[in-house]
Amino acid sequence: MALATIAFKNLNRQKKRTILLGGAIAFGVLIVTLIDGFSGAFKQNVSENFADIAAGHIFVEGSEKTASGKTLTVIRDDTVLTDVLKETGIPAQYLSKRSIAQGTLIFESKKTQLNIQGVDFGNERYLTERLVLAHGSFAAMSDRQGLILSEQTATKLNAQIGDRLLFQLTTVTGQQNVGDMVLVATTPDTGLLSGFSAYANLSYLNELLNLGNGEYQTLGIYLPSLAGMDRYATTYYDALRLKANVKDRSKTADTQGTGFGPMAAFMGGGTTEDTWTGVRYRVFTLDDLLSSVQQIVNVLNSVSIGILIVLFVIIMVGILNTFRMTMYERIREIGTMRALGMLRSGVRNLFLLEALFLALAGVVVGFAAAGLVMGVLSLFNLGTNSPLFILLRAGHLSFHVPIAQAIENILIIAALTLVAAYFPARAAARLSPALALRTTK
Amino acid sequence: MRFSIKWVLVLLTFVVLGATGAAAEAPDFAAMLKAVDANGDFGSQDYSAMFTIVTQKPTEKDSVMQVKLFRRDNNDQMVWIMQKPEAQKGQGFLKVDENVWMYDPESGKYSHSTMKETIQNSKAKSSDLKKTSYGDDYTVAAWEEGMLGKYPIYLLTLKAKSDEVSYPMLKLSIRKDKPLALKEEDYSLTARLMRTVLFPPRYIDVAGKTVYSQMLIEDNLNPGEKSQLTIADVSVAKLPDATFSKAFLGQSAR
Repeated sequence: MALATIAFKNLNRQKKRTILLGGAIAFGVLIVTLIDGFSGAFKQNVSENFADIAAGHIFVEGSEKTASGKTLTVIRDDTVLTDVLKETGIPAQYLSKRSIAQGTLIFESKKTQLNIQGVDFGNERYLTERLVLAHGSFAAMSDRQGLILSEQTATKLNAQIGDRLLFQLTTVTGQQNVGDMVLVATTPDTGLLSGFSAYANLSYLNELLNLGNGEYQTLGIYLPSLAGMDRYATTYYDALRLKANVKDRSKTADTQGTGFGPMAAFMGGGTTEDTWTGVRYRVFTLDDLLSSVQQIVNVLNSVSIGILIVLFVIIMVGILNTFRMTMYERIREIGTMRALGMLRSGVRNLFLLEALFLALAGVVVGFAAAGLVMGVLSLFNLGTNSPLFILLRAGHLSFHVPIAQAIENILIIAALTLVAAYFPARAAARLSPALALRTTK
Repeated sequence: MRFSIKWVLVLLTFVVLGATGAAAEAPDFAAMLKAVDANGDFGSQDYSAMFTIVTQKPTEKDSVMQVKLFRRDNNDQMVWIMQKPEAQKGQGFLKVDENVWMYDPESGKYSHSTMKETIQNSKAKSSDLKKTSYGDDYTVAAWEEGMLGKYPIYLLTLKAKSDEVSYPMLKLSIRKDKPLALKEEDYSLTARLMRTVLFPPRYIDVAGKTVYSQMLIEDNLNPGEKSQLTIADVSVAKLPDATFSKAFLGQSAR
């Protein structure tokens, strides 16, 4: 306790030096915590926003083998899917039944490739509650050929509300088809995801895809939140396997991002062939679709650790030099303490305690500053029509620092600081009391 | 009044008999379509030709692509060597069954892929790789006689036999004097004209078959976009086995 008090008083004696060193540590903690906070919220925000776009957290896609061996993506009868959902008691907030067509949208001499999602606007209130329109209204989707495009796509095609466009696509069986569509509304530019923000009436898109009334391609199960998504997906998959042919989920995981069917359209995937007949389902989650997001999070975490180490190596050099200087400044004081009976370990521990207090003070100030900066940044409303919207939570930047990550950072900082202070502390401890007392500054 | 009814009956009899007579005179369209198909089918013979495709788009400069093609259908082997554009000159592809090797003259290296991968990574449709047969894939839903330019033709409306054929409906103009198509209109499932293919009556006679030397393809969905395909140096002479090898790709690039 006496050592701790002396260490604290020593730090207090050199206020300017302590503030500078502690400030350097706090700055490092601030930067690293901001990165951790961003990456912590990144996955959650992207997943939640993508859940809104894809209309679900858990998805079931239906496939059917034709007599000629061709695989069609279609759910013709979803009784077994909805029955299993009821049996398992999964708290589904909404169910979305969608078809997706990849094709070319043509207007006058301009064209663009995109995916159009077929939505049952009569029943899928969920989309109308979440999707922000820049121009036009959802009411106009009563026109069965109605089309909602992102402003970016509409601008690219030079199309205005009310214009008639052509959509060229292939049916589920691979036949060429063309449909007329009327642009009735536009959504704000959402950056990279603008290409996915195209919606048409499910019944009309089905007609173009040569699917029947009431048929669709993917069932989306929208949960109250991301929490429990994997557990519910496993429960659903296990229950569905007992009643229908379901693609092995481990294989689904192997082909993350390259699955078949309309969801693959999001991720640029292809067809996975194997030997089966009849009807088969595939159960997958947002995580399966967004495996690349986890990779980004992993990269961000690695960057954060890298920055932490680089910053603290620089800070360590500062601590090392400062403590070496402190040792020379206090050389007679050390000699006195040693002459009065303080052990070598006591002198070493005094220096190490000073370094530890400095590190902890820096960490506390760094966390407080990071919390302040994150709080201020979160106040800015960037709007739901921002190109960055996929990274935002309801238009705001959000941060989440995982506790484990924060503890890991504190331990790394403490360890690095102690390592830096150890060598001057050891040198101070090895000083001979007589030699130290004879030394003049 | 009785007189009028009698004459009406006589007229109806003529109409019915005339229609029956006309029906009896309808050509055997199934055989005609098979004959049109047969013109492009070289069976077990090797086949080589130079294809030149000039593509026009309203907003872009015309592009020219020239490809030398070698085929041995019996072994499912095909080689194509790019001649134009200059940037791609010497690029070669060898397809054997499902395997595709590509030769890059810049690096002198070969890369391997499969048809499945090639299709998945491109905008190609599987139907693009399957040769459409008028006779096997379509039935004649309607027909009429007419003229196309100076040629008397049968204008056939063809409906696809299955929903896996690329175009659900075609309108095919076939010369009356020879089983050769002059024009093909391809329609979507919603019966919209998607493209028109014209076969100008300039032919090449090879191994007893008459093949088109030129095709003009017009994209009806994108006005102003059209391609002209010219076929030259057609030969059915036996090709050396070495033609269908990776080494041939490298040699052709030099």
